[in-house]
Amino acid sequence: MFKKMGLALSIFFMLVFMGFLCLRPGFGAEKPFQFGLLLVGPYNDHGWSQAHFEAGEYVQKKLPGAKMIYIDKVNPADRQGITIPQLVDDMVEKGIKLIIANSDDMKDGTREAAKMHPDIHFLHISGDDVLTGKASGNLSNLMGRMEYGKMMAGFAAAMTTKTGKIGYLGPLINEETRRLVASSYLGAKYAWEKVLKKDPKELTFKVTWIGFWFNIPGVTADPTKVAQNFFNTGYDVLISGIDTTEAVVVAKQKKQEGKMVWAIPYDYIGACEGASDVCLGVPYFNWGPGYLEFIQASIAGKWKSNWIWMGPDWKNINDPDTSTVGFKPGPALSSSAKKALDSFISDLGTKKVNLFEGPLYYQDGSIFLKDGEIATDKKIWYMEQLLKGMLGQSSAK
Amino acid sequence: MRIELRNIHKYYGPVKANAGISLTIRSGTIHGILGENGAGKSTLMKILAGFSRKTRGTVSLNGSPMTYKTPAQASRLGIGMLYQEPLDFPVLSVLENFMVGLTGNISDRNTPHRQIFEQLAKDLGFNLPPNAIVKNLTIGERQQLEILRLLGLGIEVLILDEPTTGISSMQREALFKALEQLASEGKSIVLVSHKLEDIEALCDSVTVLRLGRVSGEMSKPFDTNTLLEMIFGILPVQPTCVETQPGKTVLVMDCVTATGGRAGLKKCDVTVRQGEIIGLAGLEGSGQGLFLRLASGLVQPKQGAVFLQKSKMNGKDYHAFKHAGVTFLPTARLEEGLIPGLNIAEHFALQNRKGFYVNSPEAFKQAKKSIEKFRIKGQPVFPVESLSGGNQQRLLLSFIPDDPVLLLLEKPTRGLDMESALWVWEHLQKFCAGKTSILFSSSDLEEILMMAHRVWVFFNGKIVKDTMISDTDIHELKSAIAGII
Amino acid sequence: MQTFLRYSRKMILTAVVVFCFTTLILLIAGAPPFAAYYHIFKGSLGSWSKIAHVITVWIPLTLCASGLLYTFRIGLWNIGVEGQMIMGAIFSTALLRFGIESHQPAVFLGLSFFAGAMGGGIWAFFAGFLKTKGGVHEIFAGLGLNFVAQGIILYLIFGPWKRPGVASMSGTEVFPQTLWLPFLSTIRLSPVGLVLALAAVMVTAWMLRYTWVGLGLKAIGKNQYAAFLFGLKPGRYMLLAMAFAGGFAGLAGCLQVAGIYHRLIPAISSNYGYLSLLVVMLSNYNVWVAPGVAFFFACLNIGSIQLPMMLRVDSSLSGVIQGALVLATLAIYAWQTRNKQKERQN
Repeated sequence: MFKKMGLALSIFFMLVFMGFLCLRPGFGAEKPFQFGLLLVGPYNDHGWSQAHFEAGEYVQKKLPGAKMIYIDKVNPADRQGITIPQLVDDMVEKGIKLIIANSDDMKDGTREAAKMHPDIHFLHISGDDVLTGKASGNLSNLMGRMEYGKMMAGFAAAMTTKTGKIGYLGPLINEETRRLVASSYLGAKYAWEKVLKKDPKELTFKVTWIGFWFNIPGVTADPTKVAQNFFNTGYDVLISGIDTTEAVVVAKQKKQEGKMVWAIPYDYIGACEGASDVCLGVPYFNWGPGYLEFIQASIAGKWKSNWIWMGPDWKNINDPDTSTVGFKPGPALSSSAKKALDSFISDLGTKKVNLFEGPLYYQDGSIFLKDGEIATDKKIWYMEQLLKGMLGQSSAK
Repeated sequence: MRIELRNIHKYYGPVKANAGISLTIRSGTIHGILGENGAGKSTLMKILAGFSRKTRGTVSLNGSPMTYKTPAQASRLGIGMLYQEPLDFPVLSVLENFMVGLTGNISDRNTPHRQIFEQLAKDLGFNLPPNAIVKNLTIGERQQLEILRLLGLGIEVLILDEPTTGISSMQREALFKALEQLASEGKSIVLVSHKLEDIEALCDSVTVLRLGRVSGEMSKPFDTNTLLEMIFGILPVQPTCVETQPGKTVLVMDCVTATGGRAGLKKCDVTVRQGEIIGLAGLEGSGQGLFLRLASGLVQPKQGAVFLQKSKMNGKDYHAFKHAGVTFLPTARLEEGLIPGLNIAEHFALQNRKGFYVNSPEAFKQAKKSIEKFRIKGQPVFPVESLSGGNQQRLLLSFIPDDPVLLLLEKPTRGLDMESALWVWEHLQKFCAGKTSILFSSSDLEEILMMAHRVWVFFNGKIVKDTMISDTDIHELKSAIAGII
Repeated sequence: MQTFLRYSRKMILTAVVVFCFTTLILLIAGAPPFAAYYHIFKGSLGSWSKIAHVITVWIPLTLCASGLLYTFRIGLWNIGVEGQMIMGAIFSTALLRFGIESHQPAVFLGLSFFAGAMGGGIWAFFAGFLKTKGGVHEIFAGLGLNFVAQGIILYLIFGPWKRPGVASMSGTEVFPQTLWLPFLSTIRLSPVGLVLALAAVMVTAWMLRYTWVGLGLKAIGKNQYAAFLFGLKPGRYMLLAMAFAGGFAGLAGCLQVAGIYHRLIPAISSNYGYLSLLVVMLSNYNVWVAPGVAFFFACLNIGSIQLPMMLRVDSSLSGVIQGALVLATLAIYAWQTRNKQKERQN
């Protein structure tokens, strides 16, 4: 009798399916240009993913014919069993012409999907498949020169710290995160030695990696605990390198407990909201202009497989229409520090100061940049280790 | 309480378990319900106890018709039933079991249940340690506990379904005394049994059921032959013990000590010869069960040696014993002997494992043959739990290989009506002619005296008496069972 | 015919109960229920490529469910199926790593199936061994081993098997395409996986129905002690059942690596093990019904991704539906049994 039930089930599904084929709504009609956005975290994470989400909305505003379809939390922990190629297949069926994948974690899946759908355009954020030659012609890479933002963050941190101990809440270890941590360190070092004229030995800069871009319970180290640990061991400024806001949240708690601590979140312009008494500012991405460029190129049929590393608009690093990377000073930043930061920013813009100038050494003492050598983009992009003077793991054990 | 059952019908599908039964039970009396297995006794009692619902008919208590649907409602009306299988919580203590159902809510916890329990037990002459864990008790003790629990609920009518099955004769006496006392206090006792001697010893009046109807009624004094006729229609023939000459040694236990059960087994020295039938007597849990399990390889001795046809069996497992021709049939048929959920044919398939595939047609054929030969009421596709007790036992007997060396039977006729029991023995005796030795335990001394050549009396883990049946009598055995030699 | 009617009645009843329940949940969540059902439907069966996705989920679910039928048959709760799947994935990844440099990738791909089945089998065998020799209940042993397996996979991904220079929980380096399970490029479905899953169902049905293993498992599951008296060795059968369950789960893990992700990731098992427990229970432990239920669950899993995309409703609704289904089935089963009892008594 169970056999019969099985048969009945099968028949049921068949009927349902056939009903579907008949009911499928016809395509056609006037269609707006649809682009898809795959977000690794929640669209409202006050961090990396929200910055992307708002860029998508920015594009919709600027380009009336464009329509965004997004799906967030695209990672194997939140959406078990769902793969990037599957989502791409679905989006393509929905008539989407361009797909933006916003995470380093989606590198392999995006590459695979791009190969399968050669007539769809793909924009993989933070990737380097174009540089490495692994990308098919319909895949481009976009990244912001966050190194500058991180230098400003490091600068602000060093200007503020009372204990001389700066912590960095690192995500996972790869080239991108290494160069960002190193930039923060260089900014901090510059402020400490050149502006405050203090003894280099009194500056401690330590990074702790959690293992992913955000907390996955049971899989990564818990960023909240890592942050607490920093504050409990004398670090009074914590720079966040992860997609979510644990650093400011914990700092705020510690502040309420009476500790003099500060934090610098990351990624999203609004990340300081609600934590004004601890937030020294936020280095953020403004993906809108970059998105717009690629989408317009796609619509106009001028798509080219490109690797683009967009920097700040030094005329006004916080211009939403031109600057891909910005730094929004936070309320907790003292006015003197803010003044120093402003002049540091203008020096960076005029190239009067270039922190990636030799001599710089890797953590193990080997030479990164010879005396007087100025780093090329590629050299910075593919940094192999952390820099000498920093504490923390350079690569996996 | 006076109970009147009028025209009770109970149909299970096309089967008429009760077909218009009427009877009256006066208060303050012990009323017997007598009949073969399947005569409708249990069904009728389950209806009275609210356990199952009647198809038709009325139940009146003290003259007014009552309807109730659950055992809980029945017990609120004052009717309680002691089932054949104990319905207790084996992992709880005696006192906790007693309290189950008494405690309506947590605030009741402080009521002195222990005092109530001890008082009730003392009144009835039961000796139950309140803190003992129930699973360590004998069936008789669990029965006593259940009676106390029902009395604690305040019942006025106590129904007992085959209460003397599986308990020792001492416990039986204690039970009977308690029942008589309860009756003298005005409670109505309904005793369901297929054992004439129980009924004759205890009851004031008896109703005999046959094929779902009342076949006769009788009050004290009873006439055995009349009752037998009411039960069976015609009188069955008693088998007699087959005399054989004991042959070669089959089983030797050399100073064997083992733990298990209540008493364990201490320094047991015995020899069993070919063709012997030996009855194992004793109170429940005095070592008979353990002995049978030792002899079948289910339990390993702590000390001493077990020889089977001259080869030492220490350290060998049950499968080696089975291979050497030892067959053990446990008493709990559905718990240990058969596999509920499997049908008869599948049981036969399990007997005969060869190759990789189950030879279903072969098993089916074998099942069919055995069903015929052993007169089992059923089909090969019937699940075993749908068979009646007697048919289950027949099925178990049909699994015995053709020429076993040693047959170990734990209470082979427990819960069977007289006809089935006689049939079982007729069948078993055939094995003796083929030089099989049979060891069986029984709580029924009459059975041992009638069937065995030899008897061992177990007391507290020791064999205190080993004698030929011809050299002893029931009184001697009874005192040996009580430890008096 | 009557039984068929009864079962279809039961099915419809279950569907109605679950439908009402989920509709209620959707209303509370503020989503239009019918649109939600429409999107789940369309997202799972709306096109051939979606059906192919559903089948890629159906494959591991069916494999795990087939394995679980052995353990359920003998009365074991093999909750460790999740860990067994993970170990299968780990073992086959280990083997595939050897194949990266090889000129015969197909050989390694083939061997990885055996490695996967071995990995899962060994892991299940541990649980079985703890049960039969150590007296540890299989649920606790299984849960413990699940945690250990999860620990091992994290360690491997973050440690010895990390990408060069990278320390990330996002997974190991992707295997070269030569080590991917061949798939139909248009619908991204590996026929090998499909064949394996169908074979698993067939083999399981055949084993349980016609062989000693099946009858022995059933007998022991129904009455361990009596089966022992019949000459069966429950310990051995338990180990055997566990090995089968683990083997199939390990195979599922292997397919996840070689056919879906092409690398090892922390969530490689995607909870399919736990889900397959539900599948088997819902199918009333029936080998012919389980694939159907697995298919339905796979539809829910794949289709529900449309909810956040199209309606901004969390996709965990599919989990709610699956849970509600199991509960409703159990409730209706209990209700029917009670009715049947009443029927018999009246």
